[in-house]
Amino acid sequence: MPAAYPLPSDLSPATVTNTASLLRIIALALISGAAIASRLFAVINFESIIHEFDPWFNYRATKVLASQGFYEFWNWFDPTAWYPLGRVVGGTIYPGLMATSGVIYNLLHALNLPVDIRNICVLLAPGFSALTAWATYMFTKELKDESAGLLAAAFIGIVPGYISRSVAGSYDNEAIAIFLLMFTFFAWIKALKQGSAFWGTIAAVFYFYMVAAWGGYAFITNMIPLHALVLLLMGRFTGRLYVAYSSWYAIGTLSSMQVPFVGFQPVRTSEHMAALGVFGLLQIVAFAQLVRAHVSSKQFQELLFAAVISVGLIGFFGIVGLTYKGWIAPWTGRFYSLWDTGYAKKYIPIIASVSEHQPTAWPSFFMDLHFLIFLFPAGVVMCFRTLRDEHVFVIIYAVVASYFAGVMVRLMLTLTPVVCVSAAVALSSLMDAYLDPSEPNVEDDKNGSSTPHSTGTTPSTALATSKKTKKNKEKEASAPAGGVLGELVSNVTSSAVAAKSATTAERGVFGMDTRLIVLLNSLGLLLFFVVHCTWVTSNAYSSPSVVLSSTSPDGSKNIIDDFREAYHWLRQNTAEDAVVMSWWDYGYQIAGMADRPTLVDNNTWNNTHIATVGKAMSSPEDIAYPILRKHDVSYVLIIFGGLIGYSGDDINKFLWMVRIAQGVWPDEIQEPNYFNRGEYRVDSEAAPAMRDSLMYKMSYYRFAELFGGQQPVDRVRGQHVPIQGPTLDYLEEAYTSENWIVRIYEVKKDDVLGRDLKIANAFDQGKKRKRTKPMSRRKSISA
Amino acid sequence: MLWPLLVLSLLPLSLAAEKSAHEQLVDLAAAGNGLIQLNEQTYDLLASPRRNWSAAVHFTALNPQRRCAPCKEFEPSFTAVAKAWANAPKEHRDKHFFATLDFDDGHAVFQKLGMASAPGVHVYPPTEGPDASAKKAPFKYDFQNGFEAGPLAEQLSVHTPIPIPYKAPFDWARAGSIVSLIPIISLIFRFIKPVLQNRWVWATGTIATSLIMTSGYMFTRIRGAPYTGPNGAWIAQGYQNQYGQEVQVIAMVYGILAGSFLMLIVVTPRQLSATRQRTQAYLWTAVNFLMFSILVSLFRIKNPGYPFKLIL
Repeated sequence: MPAAYPLPSDLSPATVTNTASLLRIIALALISGAAIASRLFAVINFESIIHEFDPWFNYRATKVLASQGFYEFWNWFDPTAWYPLGRVVGGTIYPGLMATSGVIYNLLHALNLPVDIRNICVLLAPGFSALTAWATYMFTKELKDESAGLLAAAFIGIVPGYISRSVAGSYDNEAIAIFLLMFTFFAWIKALKQGSAFWGTIAAVFYFYMVAAWGGYAFITNMIPLHALVLLLMGRFTGRLYVAYSSWYAIGTLSSMQVPFVGFQPVRTSEHMAALGVFGLLQIVAFAQLVRAHVSSKQFQELLFAAVISVGLIGFFGIVGLTYKGWIAPWTGRFYSLWDTGYAKKYIPIIASVSEHQPTAWPSFFMDLHFLIFLFPAGVVMCFRTLRDEHVFVIIYAVVASYFAGVMVRLMLTLTPVVCVSAAVALSSLMDAYLDPSEPNVEDDKNGSSTPHSTGTTPSTALATSKKTKKNKEKEASAPAGGVLGELVSNVTSSAVAAKSATTAERGVFGMDTRLIVLLNSLGLLLFFVVHCTWVTSNAYSSPSVVLSSTSPDGSKNIIDDFREAYHWLRQNTAEDAVVMSWWDYGYQIAGMADRPTLVDNNTWNNTHIATVGKAMSSPEDIAYPILRKHDVSYVLIIFGGLIGYSGDDINKFLWMVRIAQGVWPDEIQEPNYFNRGEYRVDSEAAPAMRDSLMYKMSYYRFAELFGGQQPVDRVRGQHVPIQGPTLDYLEEAYTSENWIVRIYEVKKDDVLGRDLKIANAFDQGKKRKRTKPMSRRKSISA
Repeated sequence: MLWPLLVLSLLPLSLAAEKSAHEQLVDLAAAGNGLIQLNEQTYDLLASPRRNWSAAVHFTALNPQRRCAPCKEFEPSFTAVAKAWANAPKEHRDKHFFATLDFDDGHAVFQKLGMASAPGVHVYPPTEGPDASAKKAPFKYDFQNGFEAGPLAEQLSVHTPIPIPYKAPFDWARAGSIVSLIPIISLIFRFIKPVLQNRWVWATGTIATSLIMTSGYMFTRIRGAPYTGPNGAWIAQGYQNQYGQEVQVIAMVYGILAGSFLMLIVVTPRQLSATRQRTQAYLWTAVNFLMFSILVSLFRIKNPGYPFKLIL
């Protein structure tokens, strides 16, 4: 059989195997290095700082864990959150993340490495991304071979869809959850393939870790039963499936119930019922199989078949009935809104208001996954070609996750691993076909198909050396190189590679130019992918959002540090028990950086409390003031981007405050009142309710003074704000940060003479008192 | 000043029946099966400034000449809610009225209220009696949740003495069609069984689903994005936005790209003729490169800050 390019033939199979495994290890190490390094943009561009909102709470909880020990953390009651209700932290969080960094912290300190807990928190996500790459490698290896595994590891190492949630400083549950997700799936596949209770237990242990770490564990809870059910329907029930599923479900469920936040949910809520139902179904089917093996009567077998179906139906209706009776809680809103996409907007605006719960437009897919997004369907087709049990898993995962990712931006995270895996399968199949040096023998293709394995041997050994020269290429290139080796080594060792073994001689590529053009195109794609990922990571996903930066026309960088400036002011200048009211987005940051009690925070468990804040923000001053006083609020903090054009400010979020308040007080707050003929405006045409609202007044208070008589411009909305700005009677400005992003107002105490503050203010300004009675509402409060 | 005139105009009615305004309304409501068909006179009766009842008035324009499609869409919902109210206990029922006023029956009322569009629902709170509301201004229903009866009943229930006993009617047609589908499916199951067992049928479905989903189909569904923009523009401006047609174009581009890879992986190496294989390899590589360039250029339109481009 002719070869397209010459290969050395003086290498022993042992050398090839060893070199291949060495190269694999090197490639994995390089991939890990790239995965960690590309996540450090945030640290290099800014500093080692915790990002965004939720991580600040996780960081605060981890500090408690590290400084006061595990039991203190477990029983921690936080009186400063959700003032005056407080929050039982230990029972309302997934403690896996904090426990992980606590363990690392204690380990390093035991080794006399005094690393600051903050640095552990900041670098936890990059560290775990390296583990994710490894878990993805193991998973993909089960699907195809090592070469595809290395490609998949390289993809997930640098793909923006995963980086977006795991840059240094993004200390959130997702940081470790994707590793746990991939490893649980790997262990499940392994357990299923081997029928091994050991691997089933490993899967269960990692499932437990996942439950302890992220609310998204429900994805595993439903993916594995779905896979088992589909295998059952395909007639692929085996003892292996039974052992794997039963060991995973029994141990996994029992251990997951040990997490206090989960508790009895696995037997009481609909999200977990699929797993229970499939568990029951498998028992019935297994029992029927057992009985059938021992009886031969045809009639009895038919009876058995009917019995199985009827028991299954009884079980199904039993679960439905229990749900109806209220013994089993129906789907939670967050989960339900994935199916009925209009549900959240109507009934739970607080879920719909979160920006990461919005549906995904196509540019986001391309931005986050680049060329993987179209290799992904090709990879799914390759899975259909082989269609072993584990390929069925990837296919189900692909369909389910692409739907979820379309419904919610944040679920792009669960789509990313399967895209990487199946894209790697497709690309490695392509590489296999075009790197293989053997050419088909057209002259005597009758004889050509005689010994496929022996023909594979010579070229492969040669390729190993020819590839070594290319070893110092960059990482992307090394992945396919290692991959090809893996493929060829598996030919050498005659291990079964299902797709290839029989057809090697019939299929093959003629000539070098065909090979080169296809491979160059693929290499170009890979290079473009690397460049794209680097650009996206450095530009879009590495901003801590606590510190902002802007670029001046001359290219120099401006750091906008208003948030920390204002939080620091709060910490230094206010009483330690001064309650700060803000919209819930900033609750964790205020608690973490300013260390002051807050009314509401990002743990949005109490809708009414949030609606109260929404009502205070969207009502006129005299209605808002009693609310503020009743809640002991001393300071009100708002975010205003109108001066420097920061679009994530409170005026842009204001409508959600109105909507959430409207959900609780429909006859006091009505969204249409905040529109002027259907337009949301802040200029002189703004709706009266808008102009009178506390939020509007606080945002634009003294804004006009900055413009020295000119017409002031709001840079976010692009509208001209009236020169005559709003006045405040019940609040006074306490602090405004450098770029006006954070504005803090102090709530005035009662007037010393018992007057209404509005009247007292008017008196101070020397205005004549109007002939109106003081509001009766005020009296009832001071009483 | 207007008041005596109104009373005069109502005189014949009230004289004939010698009933108070409230009793008249009760009779009207009973006659209309819970819904009062208003005209200018009865409107003033219902919305009289001294009332110890509340009322939900539906303003509409059902005359085909008015060409008010939303009115036609909303009318059954309002009627259903009004009918549901007729089943409320008597002592509560008479404290709240449902009424509808067509534009052609009451130009003057529409003019007086300055209503420029229909349909609309105003709820007038009682001004006298034990239930008198502090607020004088009518509540205006905002159609935020569309024209369905469910949300309407829910929102109006805030203003009625007791919640409106509205239940969504059971969809018999749908249930019937589902039930009738069962024997049909089981009948033809034998014929479609080989189709269902064919893996490539499932593969086609899977690929189609993932292509459509990753092209932003759910975005257009949830946001109700139009198929095309104004002036025939089919690419929406902005990174977080897209039109319906973009879904098709992007899904097609992804499909061609995935297909070109599949051809290179599966079909091309199987060719036994060298020339044919070479042609195919070049062709599909070219298609791949070209489509990818197009995709990148499309992405640059959505995200103008994107610095990379291929040949296009």
